[in-house]
Amino acid sequence: MIVELGHFALVLAFVLSLILSVVPVWGALKEDEKMMSVASPVTVSMFFLVLISFAALTVAYLNSDFSVENVWQNSHSAKPLIYKITGVWGNHEGSLLLWVLILVFFGALVAIFGGNLPAPLRSATLGVQGWVSAGFLLFLLATSNPFNRIPNPPIEGNDLNPILQDIGLAIHPPLLYVGYVGFSITFSFAVAALLLGRIDAAWARWVRPWTLLAWAFLTLGISMGSYWAYYELGWGGWWFWDPVENASFMPWLAGTALLHSAIVMEKREALKIWTVLLAIFTFSLSLLGTFLVRSGVLTSVHAFATDPARGTFILVLLCIFIGGSLSLYAWRAPLLKQGGLFAPISREGSLVLNNLFLTAACAAVLVGTLYPLALEALTGEKISVGAPFFNLTFGPLMIPLLMAVPFGPVLAWKRGDLLAATQRLYAAFGVAILLVLFTFWLWGMERVLAPLGVGLSVWVMVGAIVEIVTRVKLFEVGLVRGFSRLKGLPGSAWGTAIAHFGIGVTALGIVTATAFQDEKVLTMAPGDTVSVSGYEITFDGIAPRQGPNYREDVGHFVIRQDGIVIAELDPSKRLYTARQMPTTEAGIHTIGFSQIYLSLGEPRDGASIDVRVYFKPLITLIWIGSLIMAVGAVFSIADRRLRVGAPKPAARRQAIPDATPAE
Amino acid sequence: MMLWILIAAMTAAASLSILLPLARARKTAGTTSAADQAVYRQQLEEIDRDLERGLIDEAAAEAARTEIARRLLAAHERRDGEASSLGSMFGVRFTQLLAILAIPAGALGLYLTLGSPDMPDRPLEERLAAPAENQTIDELVAKAERHLAENPEDGKGWEVLAPIYMRLGNVEAAANAYSNAIRLLGPTTTYLTDMGEALTVANEGIVTADARKAFEEAVKLEPKAVKPRFFIALALGQEGKKEAAIAAWESLLADADPKAFWVPAAQEELRKVGGTVSSAAETPKGPTREQVEAAGEMNAEDRQAMIQNMVQGLADRLSGEGGSVQDWQRLIRAYMVLGENAKAADALGKAREAFADNAESLGNINAMAAELGLAGQ
Repeated sequence: MIVELGHFALVLAFVLSLILSVVPVWGALKEDEKMMSVASPVTVSMFFLVLISFAALTVAYLNSDFSVENVWQNSHSAKPLIYKITGVWGNHEGSLLLWVLILVFFGALVAIFGGNLPAPLRSATLGVQGWVSAGFLLFLLATSNPFNRIPNPPIEGNDLNPILQDIGLAIHPPLLYVGYVGFSITFSFAVAALLLGRIDAAWARWVRPWTLLAWAFLTLGISMGSYWAYYELGWGGWWFWDPVENASFMPWLAGTALLHSAIVMEKREALKIWTVLLAIFTFSLSLLGTFLVRSGVLTSVHAFATDPARGTFILVLLCIFIGGSLSLYAWRAPLLKQGGLFAPISREGSLVLNNLFLTAACAAVLVGTLYPLALEALTGEKISVGAPFFNLTFGPLMIPLLMAVPFGPVLAWKRGDLLAATQRLYAAFGVAILLVLFTFWLWGMERVLAPLGVGLSVWVMVGAIVEIVTRVKLFEVGLVRGFSRLKGLPGSAWGTAIAHFGIGVTALGIVTATAFQDEKVLTMAPGDTVSVSGYEITFDGIAPRQGPNYREDVGHFVIRQDGIVIAELDPSKRLYTARQMPTTEAGIHTIGFSQIYLSLGEPRDGASIDVRVYFKPLITLIWIGSLIMAVGAVFSIADRRLRVGAPKPAARRQAIPDATPAE
Repeated sequence: MMLWILIAAMTAAASLSILLPLARARKTAGTTSAADQAVYRQQLEEIDRDLERGLIDEAAAEAARTEIARRLLAAHERRDGEASSLGSMFGVRFTQLLAILAIPAGALGLYLTLGSPDMPDRPLEERLAAPAENQTIDELVAKAERHLAENPEDGKGWEVLAPIYMRLGNVEAAANAYSNAIRLLGPTTTYLTDMGEALTVANEGIVTADARKAFEEAVKLEPKAVKPRFFIALALGQEGKKEAAIAAWESLLADADPKAFWVPAAQEELRKVGGTVSSAAETPKGPTREQVEAAGEMNAEDRQAMIQNMVQGLADRLSGEGGSVQDWQRLIRAYMVLGENAKAADALGKAREAFADNAESLGNINAMAAELGLAGQ
């Protein structure tokens, strides 16, 4: 009964989504209070219905109810409890149900907390959210129904893909989904503004926190996925420019641009039309990512749904949403009023610069991802666009962007003073130069670019600190008052500084781990010792071991520094017997922020085996940096003040040369 | 029933989430221009607060105030009489209609197409805990497997499970279950023989070394046991040891009750390895197809006995109380099928007697006799 109740709840939610798509939007266009009033209650009902549905499926998983086809295909009665729960979204149907649940959850948040929004904006936004929900609910019910039943249920299920039986992959999809789907809210706000033909003052207030929330989760999701690939795939790489990775990275780039343009819009009522377009782009890229991953266009570990019918369905949905919203934009955007003016050298100007670089970078990734697919579809020729392409296109765009990052926050709104800003950043520049020299001294002149990369990262990091220091005027008011001012600093100022610092940290990790890594690929016999970056690693031998649902060959290695044992590592090669699927478990030892990474290759004659040994300096900074970025976002969301960008008064600029820009 | 009540409740709640706000909505004074003005006023207050906290200085605050005041003025001028309406009755009626009709009809219609309302939940634990007579054989086996996974030392459990595996054709599991039973309950002829048989079936009829060892141990325990000796003889033949095989088959047949169901098969094997079947041992008729098939069954003898019982019962009734033409015909046919021609002829004679004064029935009987080849009698 629970299963069937969940099925009915899903159907009912679909029917409600159709009503939500029509009635409140109609009401908003007619300014009809009665019809608009329907939006919030219906949205909340839909959330509860989808929640019931998701709970019903979870119960079926927990009870190993193999009369549900989806449970039979993806679960096993002997599976540990945690993987019974995560198995709910470890498959196509369940993960789409999770997607829809998050979608209606965000809708319900707008319905509950949107009391201070003008009624037409709120109901039109919820109505557009209803369109998206209706599309995905129809997709679920028509092609991927998780509640299909088996009349004579088998006694045991097929088990979850062993590669997904990993705690990292268990929490990676929900994080990513909250990120992807979170952008649906800004999309709905944007389309609602286009439908109504105006951008309310409250519009600007709402878009930024929603973007931040989605962005924070997307950051965490991507970072988690990257770390998983690093320790599980055994190649020692943390980013492969794989199309599926790009699919999540593109919305992140567009979302980062949106985040910054939304600041301009909130504080200065400028860049309105551009922000609307970015909001549409960001969610469209999220949908594109879903299409790429779910349709089976890309063959990868993610493509557990390779079904042409589903692919076609998502493609049609994609065309309707992206094509529809862009057409609406072309038609209605001229109606929207442009906002405030600003000089090129100003906070706004720097944010526009940020947007230019980020969207260009996003376009580069988009081309690199879609071009091979388009080429294969048109000519049948298979090419692979790998790291070289992205390093040549994406990389150069990031360098000026990172150089500009510290300038933005220290420039004043409306009209800034580049010279004054530069003066404030002398300290950061000095520290960066010192570190460049230090790196040259440490590593020699062989790699010219790497020390400059280190300098750039440090420049961004110290720039973020300088921003906070200048804001509280630490050197002018003294430590005691400085600290009290530090406490009074608004959350959004902290958020900016922390997130920018995080970018610098991630960049530093990328530069050092790429340029200064020590890699040895060799065949080792028991007793052999290899040395990387001053660590001696001895191979003791390899032994078979039996796991609960796999067999593995475990190598045993001892790491010594100056003859003293500092760690022992047991990397292994596993074979999951049920599905005959091999996996690699790397051995990782963390020293400070750096890691020693061991991965087993093919066994050779006798007891020797191919081994990849890496020393990756400061590599953990890559993920630590992204955590710091997410923390910055949380600080900024927690700041619930109304934001006003106080412009720098034009006439009296000379009188107060060190006027700090307001938050 | 409970399902339908909950479905009805959910549908009602969904409809109410439309009908209630529709009925309650009041005309509000708030227009979008007013909402904008409220935001700008709050922003003005925020500037004062920022100034107090020292986040901006007086000059910047003044500039910001000027700018926001300008926006506020613009919003004020935009009071384009956009007072909200309670709208057309058409829209409201349409929405009410959707809530009352379209939601239940749409949701139920779609659900009845997609769902399976009469299918209950089937949690695994519940299926395994159900009374045995309501369970499928798979469920029973799974239950026993679970029990044995927790109590692997329960020999009786393995003993019960082994023949079930055998019957389900899961011969590897059957062999494993027998070997566990032997380990825990001690070797018996039956366990050893059945394990050997399972191993043999698993290898498509080839008696492997393991299987042969099991049969030999069984013979050690019970030298006259037929089944293990049968398989050992088979193994000798498969290994190409013709002399030994012939000797084994002959010794087996010498001890045998000539009516035993396996005798024809043993004779066949003996011929295959080049031996000759002594005429004394040979049964008068070759094995019928039924007999060969029955030989594969565990309770073949029982079944034969049962059939004979039924035929005897019919014969007794007819000779005592008499019966219809059809009854007599069935009895004659049964005797023919069982190969008891003399009894068939006997019954034919009695039937002719019984229907001597009924030309039509007599004709029927004679026609059948001709068909069965009893016409001359």
